[in-house]
Amino acid sequence: MAKIIPEKEIPSLASELTKTHTVYAPVIKGDETVFSEINDSAEIALNYSQTPLPPKMYFLPANEELFKVVDDELQKAGGIKPFIVFLNLKDLKAVNYLDKIMQKEPADTFYLQRRSVSTLVATTESAVGSHNGSDLTLEKRNNSTYLAHSFTEKGNKILKSSLFKEAPIPEKSAQEPLPNHFDELLLDSGLLAQAVEWSRENSPSTWEALGKICLSCGICTYVCPLCFCTSTEDKTSIDGSECTRCRKWDACTLPRFAQVAGGHNFRPTQKDRYYNWFYHKFVRAYKEFGQAQCVACGRCQKYCPAGIDIEKILTRLVEDYKKAHTKKT
Amino acid sequence: MENALLPKKAKLVKIEDLSPDVKLLRVKLSNSSFPTNDSGLTFNPGQFMLLGVWGYGESPFGPSSSPYEAGFIDFGVRNVGVVTKHLHELEVGDTVTLRGPYGNGYPLNSMQGKDIVMVTGGCGIPPIASLIEYLIKNRKSFGKIYLIYGAAAPDNLLFRNSYLRWQKAIEIILTVDKPSPDWKGCTGFVNAHLGKVKVDPDNTLVAACGPGPMTAALAKTLGGMGISKRQFFVSEERRMSCGIGRCQHCTCGDTYVCLDGPVFSYDQVEGVWD
Repeated sequence: MAKIIPEKEIPSLASELTKTHTVYAPVIKGDETVFSEINDSAEIALNYSQTPLPPKMYFLPANEELFKVVDDELQKAGGIKPFIVFLNLKDLKAVNYLDKIMQKEPADTFYLQRRSVSTLVATTESAVGSHNGSDLTLEKRNNSTYLAHSFTEKGNKILKSSLFKEAPIPEKSAQEPLPNHFDELLLDSGLLAQAVEWSRENSPSTWEALGKICLSCGICTYVCPLCFCTSTEDKTSIDGSECTRCRKWDACTLPRFAQVAGGHNFRPTQKDRYYNWFYHKFVRAYKEFGQAQCVACGRCQKYCPAGIDIEKILTRLVEDYKKAHTKKT
Repeated sequence: MENALLPKKAKLVKIEDLSPDVKLLRVKLSNSSFPTNDSGLTFNPGQFMLLGVWGYGESPFGPSSSPYEAGFIDFGVRNVGVVTKHLHELEVGDTVTLRGPYGNGYPLNSMQGKDIVMVTGGCGIPPIASLIEYLIKNRKSFGKIYLIYGAAAPDNLLFRNSYLRWQKAIEIILTVDKPSPDWKGCTGFVNAHLGKVKVDPDNTLVAACGPGPMTAALAKTLGGMGISKRQFFVSEERRMSCGIGRCQHCTCGDTYVCLDGPVFSYDQVEGVWD
């Protein structure tokens, strides 16, 4: 016997959960699906492909108060209310990778505190096997039914809801989504790392051209579920008695990201900065964590105002790299 | 779990003008002395700390005081940006924030038994000053010790009060670009004076702190003297925010200057594209 939930009951489940938790989920607003705090009447977009802002914003907020000092004394931070995030498997994978990054010593206590009070509920149409990093995964089996897989205590708690029914595992008729080309590219992080590293010297025209097209707006970084670079900034009250140290999202493509006091800029051109964006995701991250920092969600290319197709660039770099490599051997 | 971004509260106990735009700031913890590392040092010379002012932020500085001093730490702060401008406006008794020490520092173990040449220019001297204090304290463990220090003008030379004391234990060569009428030292760039250094090239370690063009010129001159790039250690400057290898500001190719540096042997940094 397994626990199942009818698709039409999932909004009721979310609404029930709002009694004890803040609940964030993808909802349709106008032409877009966006992550939003939901109330009892919300419809959840269970099968979303992309949202402009990724769920990382709940664990690494775009603007986070780190410390507050009042009259020279550090104030104790208030607790964070337990929260639940509904997300798809790609976004789940990104959060799991961010966990790994933030757990690396010295650990990021602010991120980890938010993760410790959060519950991840994944929704998918793919067959679910072993623990996938979520607390609970709802797997679509057919047009009307989802099968629940709980992997943690937090997941078990949600399963206690009377909206879940004991039933035999329903026959799978929901279409298994096929991996797209970008997903396939990411299967070989090592090859991507080699191709991107190789391209700096062997395909300089690629980066010259991209340096001219890129608007250095930082959007690709903000919408990325895995980009995590930040800057800190202090804010003071008008009488100077209160100060807050804030951590804000930054973007390595922004012009002053590597500029030091006095004005020297270690990455003075857009070409330098844009290449570094690729280098971090596909080379440095691979060397540091053994995996590209990308889940092929497609946000960076969908929301790039200059229309840069990152998947296309990677595909071409890999092809060129392979060609050059075959010639040599 | 320790919060790595939470700074310690410290007090300014002494402020001194080192040059027209550089101040020495001496900071002390309110109720305790600074903790020491496994070598009994408050920090390794060449490591950096994040010194800040609530309301304005924090910036990285290499301490200049003796690493054996646990009661206070000195910083040479040039008024060049937002944080340093406000550090310059503080008075004795004011509160500052402090995190670190971070990074590696100069390779003290590899220096044992060797001739040491330190080369620095302008505002690069604070970490070298603390290295000098370390070397003098352990003077017998080293061969010949030289400091070649260059600045724009005699007024821009920092730590002038220390030279007489240092000279009792090490050779000092001072050089300026624009000498004043009463200037008795050398003129020109620091690498032009490397020839005055009498060391055993096979048994020498060079420690530098200065801008890229200076270290590149030094590497070339040192090569001609038979001192390899692996014997030449430079401190790299980058923008820092977190100091603990996460925020990505200080990355340089595959390295995090805050974690893997800021001190690198020259063969590690030469020709790195980033």
